[in-house]
Amino acid sequence: MNTILLLNGLVGGVIFGAIYALIGCSLNVLCGVLRVVNFAHGEFIIAGSFLSYVLLTLFGLHPILSLPIVTIAFFLIGFGLYYLLIPRLAKSDEPETSSFLLMFGVSLMMIAAMMWIFEADIRAVEFSFDPINVSLLVIQDAYGEGRDGRVIVPTARLVALGINALLIIVLTYFLYRTLTGKAIRAAIMNREAIQIVGINIHSLSASAFGLAAALAGITGVVLAFVVPSIDPNGGQDISLIGFIIIVLGGLGHPVGALIAGILFGLVEQIATVFLPQAAAQMLGFIILITVIFVRPQGLMGRMTLR
Amino acid sequence: MAKSGTIKPDDFSEEISAQRLKSSLWYTIITVLILSCFLVPLQDGNLSFMFSLMMWVTLATGINFIAGFTGYMPFGYVAFYGIGTYVTAILVKVLGVSEYLAVPAAGLSGILLALLFAPTLRLNGIFFAIVSLSLAVVCQRLMSLLPEEITGGSHGLNLGVATDRTHGYYAMLIIMFVALVSASWLGQSRLGKALKAIRDDPDAADAMGIHVSRVRLYAWIMSAFFAALAGGAQAWFTGALDPITAFDVLITAKTVIYAMAGGLGTIIGPVVGTVTLVWIDEIVWQQFPVLNNFLLGLIITLLILFMPRGVVGSLMQHFPHLRKYIM
Repeated sequence: MNTILLLNGLVGGVIFGAIYALIGCSLNVLCGVLRVVNFAHGEFIIAGSFLSYVLLTLFGLHPILSLPIVTIAFFLIGFGLYYLLIPRLAKSDEPETSSFLLMFGVSLMMIAAMMWIFEADIRAVEFSFDPINVSLLVIQDAYGEGRDGRVIVPTARLVALGINALLIIVLTYFLYRTLTGKAIRAAIMNREAIQIVGINIHSLSASAFGLAAALAGITGVVLAFVVPSIDPNGGQDISLIGFIIIVLGGLGHPVGALIAGILFGLVEQIATVFLPQAAAQMLGFIILITVIFVRPQGLMGRMTLR
Repeated sequence: MAKSGTIKPDDFSEEISAQRLKSSLWYTIITVLILSCFLVPLQDGNLSFMFSLMMWVTLATGINFIAGFTGYMPFGYVAFYGIGTYVTAILVKVLGVSEYLAVPAAGLSGILLALLFAPTLRLNGIFFAIVSLSLAVVCQRLMSLLPEEITGGSHGLNLGVATDRTHGYYAMLIIMFVALVSASWLGQSRLGKALKAIRDDPDAADAMGIHVSRVRLYAWIMSAFFAALAGGAQAWFTGALDPITAFDVLITAKTVIYAMAGGLGTIIGPVVGTVTLVWIDEIVWQQFPVLNNFLLGLIITLLILFMPRGVVGSLMQHFPHLRKYIM
């Protein structure tokens, strides 16, 4: 019986891990290029869920089809937000801490706006795939004679995993094989040097902000597949998980965050099998605090950027 | 060459009179504040509003010790407040201790927690902010995990009629008074000057013989102590608590906004900022309850972008001669 729980935990870990990987990756794109730790990231994600929810309920658009719309809308929002907020912030005494506080203000505004539009209720996303569940593995007679143990996954979660895997591949390709992606990585390594080579740091940074926002929006849509209910107040918990991931993967390293996200998803989901839920959630923070004290450069250090 | 550098007797007397004016301005403000708070229960005024005003003044002054005087921004400041409310409530409800002992014990628990979290002061900038925030969340989860007979689990505790609101109110008044007196002492003491020196340039301060980490720790402990006391008085006054509201990030947010609006790093700033904004909050809140948090977010965003030093700080920046009159 324990094996089945463990296997379920593993499958859940990969599914949640892929989402955490995306959250951490988009946070780290921002953190690396702009030195901004986005406190409002969770709210961006929730807003992405809500946008796809609105498109579904008003126009009957399937969430998978709403992905391009969400991507474009969030890219433009992020692009605009950069010019609205960041250049002015760079003049302040302590840009890092100030940015944290600034995005905290943005997150408060976004929560209030979402509460105003959607009210405090938790919305259920009503769509389903056929079949609803997929049985991945059957272990015969696991619970005794004639009672098979099954590892069952909702189809929506598998679809989410598929989208995430595709995104991660595209993202890695973008960061390592395209010119813009290379410029973003270069900006993370050395913000000053890249300007000498003739790259407009402002438009690059704005694109990075746009990319991070677009990824957050997509994560929101995919998250609604995995957890089909949207809570306007849920953003903070997501941001906190994001912080755990980026610290684990190394602050400002998108690829490190991808690996850390999947690792953390596995640890968390397996921990929920054996520990009470609140304790499993605390585990994440304990990992976070330990890593910050023992290895502040993250589990992988700088090598992941190369 | 030495002419401009020599000190004439006039300069001294001017200096002293400015010093006097500075202190009298400050002491007038606290006297008015404390007197008006003192009189409210006697005249059947709005007790809850004045209580929250005093609580925010205490918290904003408390966070100023660490955020204003050392430059650390504790995003989990609410942890100290929360632990204060819980220690008070548990002592009163479970162990039957009198509130008069429970609230000071809450202050002590704040100090202990600050000592426990002291290693986080080694971290800088964003790492400190993230760890501080996470520690507050850990405290919250811990409170809901502990056995229900002690912390009441996720439902929290209800002290019911066991507590007297007016007594809780006056306890808060005394705590605010002590916080303000400590702030004025800090503004003039060696410790305060050492802290400011460290904030401006830690290496130079170290070279001048200031024990950087010890001085920072003092500020950290003072900060935590007043937050825990404020939490204790809050539990006494309202008589109910639960882990969600006791460790709400909004409490940190409001504290930071109020202190920052007035001006972190000055003694007078957080008090002015809090009194002004709590009044505005009260007026706005009654008009648009839904928009309340939106406006809070907007204020914090605008403050960071356009007035990171707050009202008092900006005044001092643009009119340097005012420095003489502002604590």
